[in-house]
Amino acid sequence: MAEFMVRMGEHAVSSVAGDVLVSLGLGSCIGLVLLDRRAAVAGLAHVVLPALVGRDTSTPGKFADTAAEALLAAMERLGARRTRVEAVLVGGASMFGSASAGLEVGQRNDVAVRAELARLRIPVAAAETGGSEGRTVRVALESGRVTAKPAGGEEQELYAGWKARVQA
Amino acid sequence: MSTPFTELQMDALRELANIGSGTASTALASMLGRPVDISVPNAQALPFADAVDAIGPAEQIVTGVVLDVIGELDATVLLLLEESDAATLCGLLGVDPEDEMAASALGEIGNIVGASYINALGAMTGLELEPEPPVSATDMLAAIVATVLTGRAQGDDIALVLDSQLAVEGEDCSISFVLVPTRGGVEELLARLGLES
Repeated sequence: MAEFMVRMGEHAVSSVAGDVLVSLGLGSCIGLVLLDRRAAVAGLAHVVLPALVGRDTSTPGKFADTAAEALLAAMERLGARRTRVEAVLVGGASMFGSASAGLEVGQRNDVAVRAELARLRIPVAAAETGGSEGRTVRVALESGRVTAKPAGGEEQELYAGWKARVQA
Repeated sequence: MSTPFTELQMDALRELANIGSGTASTALASMLGRPVDISVPNAQALPFADAVDAIGPAEQIVTGVVLDVIGELDATVLLLLEESDAATLCGLLGVDPEDEMAASALGEIGNIVGASYINALGAMTGLELEPEPPVSATDMLAAIVATVLTGRAQGDDIALVLDSQLAVEGEDCSISFVLVPTRGGVEELLARLGLES
């Protein structure tokens, strides 16, 4: 089993059963997971900011308004169809409570990611966003299972994945 | 990895961090009534993702105290304490780490130590600087550091991380200090030192 770290601003897709896509310690950032159950393809973007700043499009995973499209394009190359894709969101916390406006990016990220998904007509199947706790997100390609884990807490399943469908 | 700053500029920034943390250590020492040692600071200009990795293990539980700097420099000072360090500091201050007073005691340490660091920077560079009241959180290191970096993000990916450590003598207790200026803030610091790009 290979864990692939998806760090700030990065994105990754996979269709390899042994792969696990991971973003450790999401604070105000959003872990945007897109999945196509039928094709057993998933992608994870570590979104940092609500909107593209400047014209540098070399890190599309970093921005809420470019991440979903970048994931979709890469997932299509692995056999996914965008009409089947669902989303799971993790993160977007306000780590410092009522801190200065500069630190209130979490909520704005959440709103911006959801707006972009609505524009692309991608349903949000599950979300664990907001609050004040950091979280780690894991996407296991073997099962399609998506989990979120708060600091010092238990891993919790947000999305059962494709294995559940096969067994049903 | 190419850095946008020259070696000379990085040396100068490291020296700033050194004097800042030296002043902060004096403040901490007088608060605790114990000598405090400082490490040679580490200055690195890194992309955000690498900056988080450079500061520590992503999922380690730490307490972060954040002081925004206002005035003539855009920067944030972040103090990081591991759980055991936070408990030791509370003990030295005579506060039960499990008590609800603990968070405010740590916030106060952050406030005094961080403010003395910022004041030292201001005195060296002639910039008018003032710390905002601190905010703190105890959570995963990556969540705290990434959120601080994001709050200062201006589209470019490079974070200047000036990292130094204060260690309380005779105790297994240290505080990490991270100064995160914006790109504009770094230029301002360098210009004041006569080292503008």
